[in-house]
Amino acid sequence: MITPKNYLYEMVRSELTWVVGDDYVQTNDADKLGHSIDYYWVPECWHDRGEKPTPPDFVVHPANAKEVSEILKIANTHNIPVIPWGGGSGSQGGALPIYGGIVLDMKRMNKVLNIDPVSMTVTAEVGINAQHLEWAVEKAGFSTMHFPASIACATLGGFIAHRGTGVLSTKYGKIEDMIMSLEVVTPTGEIINTLPVPRHASGPSLTELFLGSEGTLGVVTKATMKIHPIPEARKFHAFLFKTMHDAMVAGSKIMTSRLHPCAIRLYDETETAKLVKRVLGIDRQGAYLVFGFDGPEKIVDLQLEEACAICRKGEHEDLGTEAGQNWWDNRYKFFYPPYMFHMPQAFGTLDTVATFSNIENVYWAMKKAVNENFPQATFIGHFSHWYDWGCMLYARFIIDNPPQDANEAVALYNRIWDMAIRAAIKEGGVINEHHGVGLKLGRMMRELYGPAFKVLESVKKTLDPNNIMNPGKMGFQGKGV
Amino acid sequence: MHIEEHQDVINACRFCFMCRHLDPVGNVTFREADTPRGRALVIDSIRMNPECLKNADFIDALYRSALSAANRYHCVSHYDETGLVLAARQDVVQAGLAPENVKTLAHALEDVAFTVKGKGDVLYYGENPKLYPGCKTISGKDPGKALEVLGFVSESRKVFAKFKKAVAESKCKTLVVAEPSAYDFLKGKLSGVKVVHCTEYLLPPKAKAGRTRKACYLESDFLKNYDGNMAAPRELLKSYGYALEPFGTNGEESYSVGEGAVVYDELNPALCQKLCSRVYGLAGDAKGALFITASRYVRDTLKKYNAKIEVLSVEDAIARRNA
Repeated sequence: MITPKNYLYEMVRSELTWVVGDDYVQTNDADKLGHSIDYYWVPECWHDRGEKPTPPDFVVHPANAKEVSEILKIANTHNIPVIPWGGGSGSQGGALPIYGGIVLDMKRMNKVLNIDPVSMTVTAEVGINAQHLEWAVEKAGFSTMHFPASIACATLGGFIAHRGTGVLSTKYGKIEDMIMSLEVVTPTGEIINTLPVPRHASGPSLTELFLGSEGTLGVVTKATMKIHPIPEARKFHAFLFKTMHDAMVAGSKIMTSRLHPCAIRLYDETETAKLVKRVLGIDRQGAYLVFGFDGPEKIVDLQLEEACAICRKGEHEDLGTEAGQNWWDNRYKFFYPPYMFHMPQAFGTLDTVATFSNIENVYWAMKKAVNENFPQATFIGHFSHWYDWGCMLYARFIIDNPPQDANEAVALYNRIWDMAIRAAIKEGGVINEHHGVGLKLGRMMRELYGPAFKVLESVKKTLDPNNIMNPGKMGFQGKGV
Repeated sequence: MHIEEHQDVINACRFCFMCRHLDPVGNVTFREADTPRGRALVIDSIRMNPECLKNADFIDALYRSALSAANRYHCVSHYDETGLVLAARQDVVQAGLAPENVKTLAHALEDVAFTVKGKGDVLYYGENPKLYPGCKTISGKDPGKALEVLGFVSESRKVFAKFKKAVAESKCKTLVVAEPSAYDFLKGKLSGVKVVHCTEYLLPPKAKAGRTRKACYLESDFLKNYDGNMAAPRELLKSYGYALEPFGTNGEESYSVGEGAVVYDELNPALCQKLCSRVYGLAGDAKGALFITASRYVRDTLKKYNAKIEVLSVEDAIARRNA
C-alpha cells in the first residue's frame, strides 16, 4: 500500500509530477475530500455521520492522451489503482477510490477539437463538462440533444463510461447511439482509436466494448459524437390518467404506432402526488403523462395531434400544452435542492429497463419487494426513457428516518437494492438502464450475465493484466483490503 | 461559528453538483475543492469537527474562491454558497488562522483615508470625476468591502466608519458609486443618503449616440449576480451607440476574473492569471473587439496580463463618446 508515510509515496508523486506538472498533482486534504465522495448515497451517508470515506492518494489532471498513457505506465509499474473521474456526479460509486490510489481527474481535457457541419459531428476531449459542450455546439448552430439532469455537472466521458441518457433519448438515443468513435488509452498505456463510423461490417464494435466500461477497461480520452440542427419547433402536451396502467397503455401505443416523440415521461400515482405536485404545482390524483415532439413545425403538430388522439381514447384529463411545456421548462428543477431527496433521508434510484410486455410486471415486482419488506420505505417511480420496444423505469425508494449508525443505515440500504433489483431481473428487467453499475450493483453482475460474465472477465484480464483500472467496480475483481 | 448560521446552505450544497459548471476557479483549476460542492464539504467537515478549521488545505480552498456568485444566481433555489464561504473566512480570521498573505493584504487595506472635494449636492466616488460636473468627489481606497470579503469584518466596519463620516461631512444626500464592489457594499448602509450606481446616474444620456460601435459587455459579478442583474449599464452603453454582443458561449458564466473577491489578483495572482487566460481564450475569435466592463478591477486585471486586449470601463466608454 502507498501511504504518505511510505517513501514510495514521494517516489510516485515525483513520477506523476514529472508527467503532468506541479499544478496538476494534488495531495491536499480539500481535494482528497472532494474525490472521496461522489453522488452515491453511501459515501454521502458516511460523511453525514462523521465517518471518513476512503480518499485517493493522488489526484492527477492529465492534459492529453499521452500523459494518460504515461500515468497508466507508472501505475502498472507500482501496481497502483487508477480511477477515472469526470464530474463525480455518478450515483453508483463508480468513481470512488475505494482502495486509494490515483484518481485520474479528466476535467482538464476539456477542449472542443472540431465541429464538422457537413457530417454533423463534434469531436471533443472527454473531460469537457456536458453543459459547456452543449453551449459550444449551440454557438455553432447545432445541439448535441443530450440533456440529462446531470448536464451541468457531468462530463462527456462520464456519460460514455456508464452509458448515460438524456431527456430526449426517445428520439436522439442514449449516449451509445450518439457516439461515432473513441480514442482510448488501454490499461497498459497504448493509445488506440476505434473505427470512425459506428455502422460497419468490419468486425465487432470496439467502440461498444468501451461504452459502459466505467473505466475498468481503459481511459476514454476523446470522442466524436453526432450533433443535430436546432429544431424549428419543440412542443409538449400533458395528460392525467386515472391509473398508471391506463397511462402506460397510451404511452406504449404512441411508441408502437411508430410516432417519433423526443420525450415521454409517465409518473406513477405516488410520484404524481408527491414530486409533480411539489415541482410543477399540479395537484391531482392520478398518473401524469407528458410527451413532446420536435423538428419542422408542421410535422411536430401532426405527430402531437396523433399522440393526443391516442391519449384521448382512454379515461383521461387533458392538461394541455401549457402543463407539458411547464414540465419541460422545469425538467432539471427536480434534481436541485430542496426538491431532490437529501440527508438524512436514505434514497436510491432503482432504475431498470424492460420490454413493454414486461415493464409493468417489473414495476409491481419492485414495488412489492420494497413495500412488503421495508415498510419504512416509500416507493415511487416514473418511466422516463421510451424506446420502440419498451421503456425505462426510474423507480425510487425513500426512507425519511434511516438508522443513525452509518453501518446500519448502509446495510439497510443494500438490502433494499438486493431485493428490489433481483425482483426486477426475475421479471425481465436488467440491473440498470443509464446510471451504470459501479460499486453499488457490481455484486449482481454475475447473476445478471450468467456464464457470459466470464467473457467480460476475460476481456478485463487481457486488457488489464495488473488490474489497475478501477478495481472492484462492475463486479470485477478488487484489490483486497 | 458563523458557518452554523448557514446550515441550510451546507446541507443543500455539500452533495449537490448542479452549479459546478459555473465556478470560474473550478473551470480553470479543475479541482473538486474549487467547486461549491467541494467548499461546502470542507466547511461541513469544519462544522462537524472545529479542529478542521486549522487545516491549511481547507483554509487555502476557502481563499481560492472567486466569489462570483454565478452559482448562487443560477441555482434554482439560490442557495447562498457565497455567503457560506464569507462566513467561513470570518471564522478563520476570528480564530487567528488567516494565512500570512491574507493578513498582510488586510493590514494594507486598513490604512485608508477619505477626502471630499468640490461643490455640489451629489457626491461622486470613482475615477472619472469629469463625467460628473457639479458634483463633489470623495477619494480614497476601498470603503471596507475588500476587508469584509477577506473575513476581517470588524476591521471592515472601522474603515466604513471613516467613509461614512466623510460622506456625512459632505452633506450630500446622493452618492454615485462607480466600482460595483463598492456600490454593492454601500447601498443600504448610509441612512439618509441615496446610493446609486454611476450607470443609473448617467441615464438618460447627455450626448448623441453617434456611429454605432460593436462591443462585448463583460457582466459584473456584483451588478449581475449580487444586485439582481442591473440593466442600467447595458442600457447606458446602448444609448451611447454601443451595439453589445454576447461574449463566450453562454450568459451564465462569470468572466469577471475574480471581481467578486474584490482583491483576488492581489490574493491569488497565479490563479487570477489563469482566469484571465480563459477570457483571452474565449476572446480569440473576437480579435479587434472592444470589451467593456463596469468594473475598474476587471479592466485593469484583464489588461495587466494581456496588454493587447482593448478593455474599457463603462465610464471610459462613455467618456470616449463624450469626447
